[in-house]
Amino acid sequence: MAKISPVTGRYVTFEVDGLEYRVFWCENGHGPPLVCHHTAATHNHQYRHLLEDEDFTSRYRIIAYDMARHGKSDPPRNAEWWKEDYRLTADHFVNFVTAFCDALELEKPIFLGSSFSGCVALHLALRCPERFGAIIPLQAADYAPGWWLDWWRHPHTNAAQVCSSGVWDMMAPMSPDAERWLTLWYHMQGAEVLKGDLYFYSMDHDLRGRLHEIDTDKCPMVMMTGSYDFLTPPAVTQATAEQVAGAEYIEMKNLGHFPMSENYPLFKPYLTQALDIIERKLAASVS
Amino acid sequence: MAQDSAAWAENFREATESDPVIQSYAKYYTCDFLFDMEELRVGVSMRDGRVQKIEIDPPPLTPHHFSLHASAETWRKMSQKHPPPFFQGIWAASVREDLRIEGDIKVLMQNLRNFTAQFELLRQTGVPV
Repeated sequence: MAKISPVTGRYVTFEVDGLEYRVFWCENGHGPPLVCHHTAATHNHQYRHLLEDEDFTSRYRIIAYDMARHGKSDPPRNAEWWKEDYRLTADHFVNFVTAFCDALELEKPIFLGSSFSGCVALHLALRCPERFGAIIPLQAADYAPGWWLDWWRHPHTNAAQVCSSGVWDMMAPMSPDAERWLTLWYHMQGAEVLKGDLYFYSMDHDLRGRLHEIDTDKCPMVMMTGSYDFLTPPAVTQATAEQVAGAEYIEMKNLGHFPMSENYPLFKPYLTQALDIIERKLAASVS
Repeated sequence: MAQDSAAWAENFREATESDPVIQSYAKYYTCDFLFDMEELRVGVSMRDGRVQKIEIDPPPLTPHHFSLHASAETWRKMSQKHPPPFFQGIWAASVREDLRIEGDIKVLMQNLRNFTAQFELLRQTGVPV
């Protein structure tokens, strides 16, 4: 019997730094907006479980978009992007996220980002905390060097296989096979942009010495990372969180670098905990 | 207690050639590699997804495209059914533990999907150290 999902998908067109993007997003639910950003080289299907979870959609308007050049969101329509080597910068990344939120007229959304978008979450908290209700960086660090590699896009290799196999180890070995293979599958689809995404992650993103400037009174922050994440292991994320006054840190046991996708049932209680912390902090700040 | 290396080699060959993930993509999976497990070395030659040869302690100057070197303890942890954090694969263990990957990395990258699946079979077969 057919089952139609309550999740809807739409496109929105807007400009970022002079570039015109047609961006695809999925959403479901009612309440304060919770904007979810995928990891590098993938798309919003990483949030497929969250988008259909009534425990969250009854409380939040869950919005998960494909960043430009990812999933169903094309490269810029008004530029000859095929003549340039794609390199995502911190400035453009921040401007993209805020422009998307403006395009959907979102009022102080909670931003949930993972890996490279967990790192941009730190930039959002630093640069424009007044625009967000709260920030949840997953798998983030103040600095993540070493991954801007030619292997991600080498003409002598199969980029889809290299990129997806490269992320295989980032998942916890006990995560269900079907979920791990879907997570791998998404990376196969986006392999061509991984290197450009990781230019931001490993080259342009460097907040060492800046984290003390983040004001969590303006924008509460909860950082979380998986115990199997070798890219941003718990010690690294915890050290990052400890530099942000008022930030909370949670280690997610038996999860890897893609918690929302590789094992949602394990991820769910941690996200619940993070959102409960945020709600308490927001309530306290109002009172 | 370490298992008999010849029996292990046969188990690893059989696991490789009967693994549906590898065999679904086996064509062109062709390379020679070495597992250096501190107490013992294993040379593996793959041809089109079939194991051409598994050699325990191959003699010096035996050619291979790439090699993985780690302590016996690391190999034992990597081969557990549920390896502890950072022992779950070659990327994790080479970044966070004592695994070293040497040789022609391009050949490893060209065969990475199948090699990753084959390496994970160590969780079924264990290691001979």
